[in-house]
Amino acid sequence: MNGHLQVKLDSLNKEEALRYMGYRDTAPDDSILAMLDECEKALLAVIKPCCIYHVFDIEEVSEGISVCGTSLVLQGNAISEHLAGCCKAVLMAATLSAHADRVIRRYEATDMTRAVMADFLASAAVEQVCDAAEESIGQEFSAYYRTWRFSPGYGDLPLDIQGSFLDVLQAQKLIGLNATASNILTPRKSVTAVIGLSENEIQKGRQGCSACNMKDVCQFRKRGDHCGV
Amino acid sequence: MGFRELLKNKEFVILDGAMGTMLQAKGLKMGETPEAMNIEKPEWLLDIHRQYIEAGSDVIYANTFGGNRHKLAKCGYSVEQAIGEGIRLARRAAEGHDTLVALDIGSIGQMLEPTGTLTFEEAYDIFKEMVIAGKDADVIVFETMTDLYELKAAILAAKENSDLPIMCTMTFEENMRTFTGVDISAMCLTAEGLGVDALGVNCSLGPKELYPVVEKICQWTTLPVVVKPNAGLPDPVTNEYNCSAEEFAEFAEKLIPLGIKVIGGCCGTDPTYISALKNMLADKKYVQRDVHIPAVCCSPTETVVIDQPRIIGERINPTGKKRFKQALLEDDIDYILGQAMEQIDAGADILDVNVGLPAIDEKAMMVKAVKALQGVCDVPLQLDSTIPEVMEAALRVYNGKPIVNSVNAEEKSLETVLPLVKKYGAAVVGLTLDENGIPKTADARFALAKKILDRAMAIGIRKEDVYIDCLTLTASAEQENVMQTVNAVRRVKEELGLRTVLGVSNISFGLPSREIVNHNFLMMCLTSGLDLPIMNPNIDSMTATVRTYKLLTNIDKNSMDFIAHYGADTSSPAPKAEKKSDMDLPYAIEHGLKGEGAEITAKLLETTDSMTIINEMLVPALDKAGEQFEKGKIFLPQLIQTAGVAQGCFEVIKQKMLAEGGSSVSKGKIILATVKGDIHDIGKNIVKVLLENYGYEVIDLGKDVDYQTVVDAAIENDVHLVGLSALMTTTLVSMEETIKLLRANNVDCKIMVGGAVVTPDYAEQIGADFYSKDAKQSVDIARQVFGN
Repeated sequence: MNGHLQVKLDSLNKEEALRYMGYRDTAPDDSILAMLDECEKALLAVIKPCCIYHVFDIEEVSEGISVCGTSLVLQGNAISEHLAGCCKAVLMAATLSAHADRVIRRYEATDMTRAVMADFLASAAVEQVCDAAEESIGQEFSAYYRTWRFSPGYGDLPLDIQGSFLDVLQAQKLIGLNATASNILTPRKSVTAVIGLSENEIQKGRQGCSACNMKDVCQFRKRGDHCGV
Repeated sequence: MGFRELLKNKEFVILDGAMGTMLQAKGLKMGETPEAMNIEKPEWLLDIHRQYIEAGSDVIYANTFGGNRHKLAKCGYSVEQAIGEGIRLARRAAEGHDTLVALDIGSIGQMLEPTGTLTFEEAYDIFKEMVIAGKDADVIVFETMTDLYELKAAILAAKENSDLPIMCTMTFEENMRTFTGVDISAMCLTAEGLGVDALGVNCSLGPKELYPVVEKICQWTTLPVVVKPNAGLPDPVTNEYNCSAEEFAEFAEKLIPLGIKVIGGCCGTDPTYISALKNMLADKKYVQRDVHIPAVCCSPTETVVIDQPRIIGERINPTGKKRFKQALLEDDIDYILGQAMEQIDAGADILDVNVGLPAIDEKAMMVKAVKALQGVCDVPLQLDSTIPEVMEAALRVYNGKPIVNSVNAEEKSLETVLPLVKKYGAAVVGLTLDENGIPKTADARFALAKKILDRAMAIGIRKEDVYIDCLTLTASAEQENVMQTVNAVRRVKEELGLRTVLGVSNISFGLPSREIVNHNFLMMCLTSGLDLPIMNPNIDSMTATVRTYKLLTNIDKNSMDFIAHYGADTSSPAPKAEKKSDMDLPYAIEHGLKGEGAEITAKLLETTDSMTIINEMLVPALDKAGEQFEKGKIFLPQLIQTAGVAQGCFEVIKQKMLAEGGSSVSKGKIILATVKGDIHDIGKNIVKVLLENYGYEVIDLGKDVDYQTVVDAAIENDVHLVGLSALMTTTLVSMEETIKLLRANNVDCKIMVGGAVVTPDYAEQIGADFYSKDAKQSVDIARQVFGN
């Protein structure tokens, strides 16, 4: 029903970070790779990656999807479509901890190149934490089919549910995760997401850029790539 | 009996157990605002409080934990309503009993700057509102805190707006730190320094797992220690806590020998846990602790005990430094941060911070510098100003236990500075001088040290918190008195038992080979008992002297630290792979060779005019990199790397121009800001680096910038290009509002906008003059606007 994972990362996904930086076919030179190693070490030395999740029964209501036993309603068409056919939803929140913010901030004061690298690496790392959490969720709910991770802010699921989402998970108390007044998660390198659980196979092909509100400006799309979500 | 009497007269003070767990059992949904129940379900609260009173609680916590304006926003009740009702219900439940009522205050639920956007001052206001709304309580409790800075704002709000006793507890993880990395010692030193009545730990873990945490708290405070653990650890699947009431009491019993005074339960506990505690405590005696807190200062993450020489870095100080003065005039915080990181890397244990310059608002700059420094540095700070208002402002916003530099034996100084040191729980440097100046003899300086100590202790400052500076005179002017300083250091250390501080570099003023004089004088002073040399740690021989002293006096056991620093220094340094004797500036820039770039620039400046270097070498090299970036031949890290090299070159040019008395290079002034509500500012910072390297003067307003701040800065600095950045769809509206306000004020400027979610269409729609797709394009826009 619940999970509270301390995720141990032995390495960060540098390939993914390089992809975020725009490297596709071109191999980065040794000095870039050396710097990336250094940033990886600096992050790994201090971050405390963790994740919490909780599974709820869900119910379709007129505004969207009601999360049973809570005051939370996931509003919009996109989330309804995402959870179509699902009987349960897993709400999850993951963070690298405020230590990641500090590493990036420190680099920003001394060396922007490393700051940018650490920022991209940390973005890749929080996805790794989510992957680890999803694996654990998959094991726990092996009887169900799972949707991909859908986050507040995707499609028409409003970002301003972020605060209630965190409250339901007690994310502040359990993993130190908060939202600012403009619904930005802090610590910065954090993710909240909803995974649907269904007893029946889920139609493929629902994941994609069409649901994303970044689709018109996405740098990945412009170069024929996608962000990895 | 009030709370303070309770602490004094009872063997143990018993708190209540969980509120949230009890409310959920009554039907509170997850995600609902518990404080709304004070109004909607008062009978629930009365029943919960009565159960705890019956179980034996001496103090019950009113249901006010999240009753702040931020968390209440979604339920529509005011702070006054939610807290006022909460306290009234607890009072009603306690009628006819001796039970005290606590105003219970938890974290605001938003992170403070710099990770979040909430300012220290806003946090103070939020807590102040709660403290006032809860004025009818018997004690104020701050609990489940994970950020020391937030706790400090809370304690100050309570102290300054109420006379009630204060108890505070933070939440520690198994690694003995909070989520934000706060160390136990830092919480104890800071909270006790600010004058709370009791402190400790709540939530976190069970009583068994908290043993080492409680043990450490008991070593770091002289105050009564509070423990309010969870009912063990939650089962990952069922969410049930694994510790029964009996087990809870059994583990709690083991904490008694550590010297705890106040105990209750947090998540997962209920009245049966409190009954079990009461039964267990019935025949137990409080164990008096014999605690001695050493001379010490701290940041949230680093506690520096002055039990051996510690280096105070002196470089954050404009005195005699043209480049530093320029940075202050230009509001260039990054330069100050750079100076800080350099000193820390070189071995500074503490940093002195002095930003006094007649031409600037020292108070505003001090606050800004302290906030920025503690956002990136772990080392504690020594706050250095001669103006009491500046000192108080710095003490307020400092996160931890700082050192105040300084007080002296003049009556006026003693009267103004010492009360500040006491109020904010700092340590203080006492200068051995008074109305008559610096006494010549060691005896007379010793007497002034004694006077300062007596006066400090008279208002309750601990002896350990007074550090004495016996003052260095220059050997060239007063050679006969050098030993007076050394002897005074020895006497203050040996006879008064105080820590000693000394700025050592002045000794050599006016002499050749200053470095030789400095490090020898440093060694003399260390041998005579100097604890805190204020010096330039970037000079190898100085830092090496301190390390050698620690090696030779057996402080650095097995020479570990010494070998770590100098162990590899047996052969000559390896030649740098890229070193080419005929390397030119474009090559260095293209290959990201920062040190080489600066060296070449310095050499070029001997023969070439600085504008020629900028226009004919730096700019074309950057253009080339920009072009390759656009073509996808190089990528963001490389683009920034080339900019970093250019930045190093610019720094050399800037130094030279300042040394020659000229002003710095400026092809035009540009304001950059990440808009209100948005905290993703790495993109803006990349743009800044690039613009600066093309010779533009960037006024960086930072992130989460108020609309009005942008307008004011543009008018005040007569700026004609403003760059705004936003990364979130939700903060785009702030971008629009900022532009509206600039236009409404008829600010004569062009506006460029950028950021992941901004589109050319949107830029046009909100009235921006330019859309900038990346950092490179912002340079093109600047060139167009300024025609250069």
